[in-house]
Amino acid sequence: MQWKRKDLLGLYDLSAEEITFILDTAAEFKKVSERRVKKVPALRGMTVVNFFVEPSTRTRVSFELAEQRLSADIVNMQAQASSLLKGETMLDTVKNIEALQVDLVVMRHSATGAQNFIADRLKCGVINAGDGAHEHPTQGLLDLFTIREKKGGFKGLNVSIVGDILHSRVARSNIWGLLKLGANVTVAGPSTLVPREFEEIGVRVCHNLKDAVANADVVNLLRIQHERQNNGFFPGIGEYSANFGVKAATMEWMKPDTLIMHPGPINRDVELAGEVADGENSVILEQVTNGLAVRMAVLFLVAGCRK
Amino acid sequence: MTSSQLFDAEQMMSGIRDLARQIADHFTDSDRDIALVGIHQLGVPLARLLHEELGKLNLKTEFGMLDITMYRDDIGTRSMLPRIHETVISFDVNDKEIILVDDVLSTGRTIRAALDALTDYGRPGLIRLAVLVDRGEPEFPIRADFVGFKIALPAERKVLVNFEAVPGMSAGIFDVNWQK
Repeated sequence: MQWKRKDLLGLYDLSAEEITFILDTAAEFKKVSERRVKKVPALRGMTVVNFFVEPSTRTRVSFELAEQRLSADIVNMQAQASSLLKGETMLDTVKNIEALQVDLVVMRHSATGAQNFIADRLKCGVINAGDGAHEHPTQGLLDLFTIREKKGGFKGLNVSIVGDILHSRVARSNIWGLLKLGANVTVAGPSTLVPREFEEIGVRVCHNLKDAVANADVVNLLRIQHERQNNGFFPGIGEYSANFGVKAATMEWMKPDTLIMHPGPINRDVELAGEVADGENSVILEQVTNGLAVRMAVLFLVAGCRK
Repeated sequence: MTSSQLFDAEQMMSGIRDLARQIADHFTDSDRDIALVGIHQLGVPLARLLHEELGKLNLKTEFGMLDITMYRDDIGTRSMLPRIHETVISFDVNDKEIILVDDVLSTGRTIRAALDALTDYGRPGLIRLAVLVDRGEPEFPIRADFVGFKIALPAERKVLVNFEAVPGMSAGIFDVNWQK
């Protein structure tokens, strides 16, 4: 197949073939970062704007490094410093960016679908770096890449995602990708954060950690967002940690080769005990490495298909 | 599309053996550190065949494969990109004598990209170019050192090399006219 999309907005829109194509492309880009010369001229002469209306550190740094390794020119824009604060609409802001002849906009926004709205109205490519609780496609892809690298494939693989599924764009991108590629997905956490409605999209819903991890090949833990603690979704951090935090003792319920994943940043000893995060089942830092490769692949494909 | 066969499978194989002999005659000093690097897609099977033939001629070579898609000069100007294939350079490129291998030398742009790609892996001692077919009119000042066949055809026609027979087309070298 050949890549034909000018934007990457979410994994929900992609076919299994397209996802596999990105992962295959990323495998070659991963090798670039292992060389002494960690740079290729693929995006030479192209300009990428990183437009982060919602704060981000690791995703932005990962995108920036990916862009540099592709030889693109980069402009970083943050909401605090943009004209959004002066009353300009988001569309006017990005239209002004496009008028400067940029080739790609990497965008994060707190509103679901903001990137879809923008992508429909711009000629240049748009890459979603996270929109609300909707999708975070490059995080989903890097998780898929890491799973495929470690487990060889997805057919029949049991993947459990544990934590605040309700508010998580990482969970949604993972769910869409995993289901398309043939994995069995379990989502687990307190019933307030993991409502039964998720069963309708074809995943198993579980409110007990032991049940969720017992047969899992992969356990992906999501960050418990402190900022939601006061919203009444769960009684307190201590209670969450006691019921759903993964500790050394939790590992005894799992198969010996279960992968422990986390999109970061980790709240050590809340959703994940330090000794497990640093233990031999953990692939958390490899996820970071793979994120760079996946973002290089996505930037390359999206930039490359336009005329 | 119409196509006519220029060389059949047997003639093609004898051209490949001739190419191997040219290389072996050139690199006579047996303790040289030589590698064949095939350029995707069709330079790779050709490099494999040459690697075998050179073995029969007692010239030991290492083998690698190179994808040049990340080094193309037309990214963003085409409607879509070709698939990236696997690059495998498992030897140390520094000071190595490298023979780049491709099926057809046409515009020279692929070779330009391959030189950039290869030198990002290290500093080879020497790079030479072997092609099965030289079309004779490159757009860049790039010439092949070892040539199997010289074929002069108008630019709009394509030379297609089929190392193995596929349904509907036998092995051999073909002149393809896309416009008919």
